[in-house]
Amino acid sequence: MNEKLLIAKMVQEINGSVDKDIVIMEVCGTHTQSIAKYGIWDMLSPNIKLVSGPGCPVCVTDKKYIDMAVSLSQKEDVIIATFGDLMKVTGTISCLSEEKSTGKDIRIIYSPIHSIQLAKEFPNKKVVFLAVGFETTAPLIGKIIMMAREQNISNLFFLTSLKLMKPILIEILNDKSNCIDGIICPGHVATIKGSTYFSFITNDYNIKSVVSGFEPLDIISGIYLIMQQCKGNVYGHNRNLYKRCVKEKGNHIANKILEEVFDHKDGNWRGIGMISNSAMIINNEYEDFDAEKNFYFNDLPEIKEDKCICRDILLGKKIPVSCKLFGNQCTPQHPVGACMVSSEGTCGIYYRYRKEG
Amino acid sequence: MCLAIPAQIKSIEGAYGEAMYLGVVQRVNIELIESPSAGDYILIHAGFAIEKIDEDGYVELERIMRCLLEECDSYE
Repeated sequence: MNEKLLIAKMVQEINGSVDKDIVIMEVCGTHTQSIAKYGIWDMLSPNIKLVSGPGCPVCVTDKKYIDMAVSLSQKEDVIIATFGDLMKVTGTISCLSEEKSTGKDIRIIYSPIHSIQLAKEFPNKKVVFLAVGFETTAPLIGKIIMMAREQNISNLFFLTSLKLMKPILIEILNDKSNCIDGIICPGHVATIKGSTYFSFITNDYNIKSVVSGFEPLDIISGIYLIMQQCKGNVYGHNRNLYKRCVKEKGNHIANKILEEVFDHKDGNWRGIGMISNSAMIINNEYEDFDAEKNFYFNDLPEIKEDKCICRDILLGKKIPVSCKLFGNQCTPQHPVGACMVSSEGTCGIYYRYRKEG
Repeated sequence: MCLAIPAQIKSIEGAYGEAMYLGVVQRVNIELIESPSAGDYILIHAGFAIEKIDEDGYVELERIMRCLLEECDSYE
């Protein structure tokens, strides 16, 4: 069947089957962007609430991390290497974009592989890569650290803000005020960790869940299956609808790298707070590459919290238009909170696709 | 942030492969996937192949992207 016809048919059945409010959460910025870009919000009955959870690692990178990166950029012998979407995330006083405009050596790179190239090209400098991401990105960081060890590279460091999806999902599901009926699980986190990584959502919390890809048919299929599970038409256990990319146990090479290089500890999620065992940190075996252990950070400013409602937005309790700063004091050009900065941040997506709410 | 795109490995040299998607060629690290070969279809994230994908899945993704690109062109 033609894909458009298939989507139309499923949307018709989804909307026809709704007899009460249904809340479906996705926890991946790429899903949020796809839902907005393909107009999926507008296809569905107003009784189906698609909410976004904390699925954008840039959005949950705390101010202290940015302040540490800014502090490092002040050192004349340091080159900061970063993904582009971190440039405008605000710290307490400044952001990387502002610091670059004053001449600090801050370079946007596409892949962490390029941080090794920079370290080799500038042996008299210390290259610090800002390693931000979830389970999808962490194995790449781990691999680069292992490569740097093998190649005896001593001037490459990593300032990590690597986070785990499972602990934050547990935090959200333990909050009974959330009333979530279904969760669309992030397809590329599942590519690394396996589809069974998210089985706990249904097994422990009896909430419907699917692992979904990012095309319109993938997302509509995920919503369709969650609705069928809610109606009892289909047995409700975690389903993998992204089989072309996701295996049951994930990528075992990537998972071995995670075990080899990282430990877990409590992590601070911007706007949300400390979440137990949610951060991946470089372990003692590779501490020579850990920027936190190899640089002094004694000039950090006192943290002042944002005035925006990022916490409620990240936890899916409110939408960006509810924030009094949205669209006036907080815009993509002049962001206040991190959710407005990243192309996958909920506020940035709403600003581009749904300013009116 | 977890964006990943499909591609096909055209050639391999050591730990890296030249991978192509919609005519664009990119050099990617292939050490995170098992037994990579020229002709394999892969998922690329930030310069690394993170999984092999089956041909049907790749063909479908490419078809969808071409449709979307044609839709965009028709608005110009």
